[in-house]
Amino acid sequence: MNARTEGPLLAREEQQLVEGLLAGNEDAVRALYVRFARPIFTLGFRLLGSAEAAEELTQDVFLTAWRKAARFDATRGRLSTWLMTIAHNLAVDRLRRETGVTRPTLVLVDEVPEVAAADEDPLLERDAAVRALQALSDAERKLLVRAYFGGLTAREIAQADGIPLGTVKTRLRTALIKVRRANQDKDRP
Amino acid sequence: MNCIAVRDQLPELAVGVLPQREQVALERHLQWCAGCRKEAAELGQAAATFAFALAPAPLPVGLEDRVVAGVGRLAARPRTRRRPRTVIAAVIAAAIAIASLGWGAVMAGRAERFAERAAQAEQARSRALAQFQHVLDSLPFQARADETHLGQLAPTSAIQRGGGAVLQLVSPTRLDFVVVIVNGLPRDPSLAPYRVTLKDAGGRVLQGGRIAELDADGGGQAFRQFKNTDLTGFTTVMVRDASGRVVLKGTVDQSTGA
Repeated sequence: MNARTEGPLLAREEQQLVEGLLAGNEDAVRALYVRFARPIFTLGFRLLGSAEAAEELTQDVFLTAWRKAARFDATRGRLSTWLMTIAHNLAVDRLRRETGVTRPTLVLVDEVPEVAAADEDPLLERDAAVRALQALSDAERKLLVRAYFGGLTAREIAQADGIPLGTVKTRLRTALIKVRRANQDKDRP
Repeated sequence: MNCIAVRDQLPELAVGVLPQREQVALERHLQWCAGCRKEAAELGQAAATFAFALAPAPLPVGLEDRVVAGVGRLAARPRTRRRPRTVIAAVIAAAIAIASLGWGAVMAGRAERFAERAAQAEQARSRALAQFQHVLDSLPFQARADETHLGQLAPTSAIQRGGGAVLQLVSPTRLDFVVVIVNGLPRDPSLAPYRVTLKDAGGRVLQGGRIAELDADGGGQAFRQFKNTDLTGFTTVMVRDASGRVVLKGTVDQSTGA
């Protein structure tokens, strides 16, 4: 299997990669790693607070993806979303399990120093993701960050801010729809 | 759960903070509701954008080889390794309970016009799916939402009537099973028995049970548990009459529950 490591993947190519993963094909696993390991590791690092935990998470994501691979359907959603959802769920589960572990201080995108250019692989999704998040107001962005990175439920946010639960849910939904619309121009070819 | 209640919770599902108990009920709804599933996918994609927007952290040296080795070890194992925990009795009891509920004379295939027959078929499918929720609730263990899959059966051009639904359990820890419920099929004795077959993308076929005879509403159910076969990928479900004609056909969605 000679999977491309640059440029957006077609649905057929995503399906082939996942089928390769299921078969234990080394080329497929390495191709998936090249494309997705860094954002997975980064998410783990930001959520779990250490490189060791992020490394464990990255390995767990690939093993979980192998277990669920037979159910992946590229016509229903993008591979990147599927993998990041697995990563986020595993990380949040771990945070909840490990009582006593303080939630890491969450760092917003613009506050994170860039890594050296020589060390930065071309992240296919990042530029588009940053652009999509610019569609949000500061308040919407902070709300999503509190939920997605902070693990706060809508009820917890409503109680903390002293606003109705329905209002928080509506704002979450509105913000996600804005991001979704901004994302549409970068959807799979 | 209805679609309104589900859509109210989809934003929290997308950002991964929906409490587990509510998530199980919601994911069961998503297994058979294409509209809510589409919205869930779109919101999930939007939420994942946050992860991709983070400034990247450098990857540890050697992690790639460790990931490759880990997947290789898993892939080298036999795919199916389950504890032989049977759920036959519970499922059959639930299926019998469903049959005893009856779906009423409207499902007896008495409609004259095509539009009425189509409406009846749709009603049959919807009610069967709703009854499967009761099956899941009645099991003596909590069936995980990502291990239980539902599908609808629609009539083919062979008879243009009836409908049905499929429930599959595809689990790494329990024996897989399939339950098929049909209704509104012709009661002509020469068409029975009906047989259920499952097919995967590679053309492999499994027998999914037999319906010896139909009740007064043209209904019946088939059940089979698989001791040594993994149902993963066996998503096409067909019901054939005694002559081998496909009278009902549908697809089970095994993709949900990531």
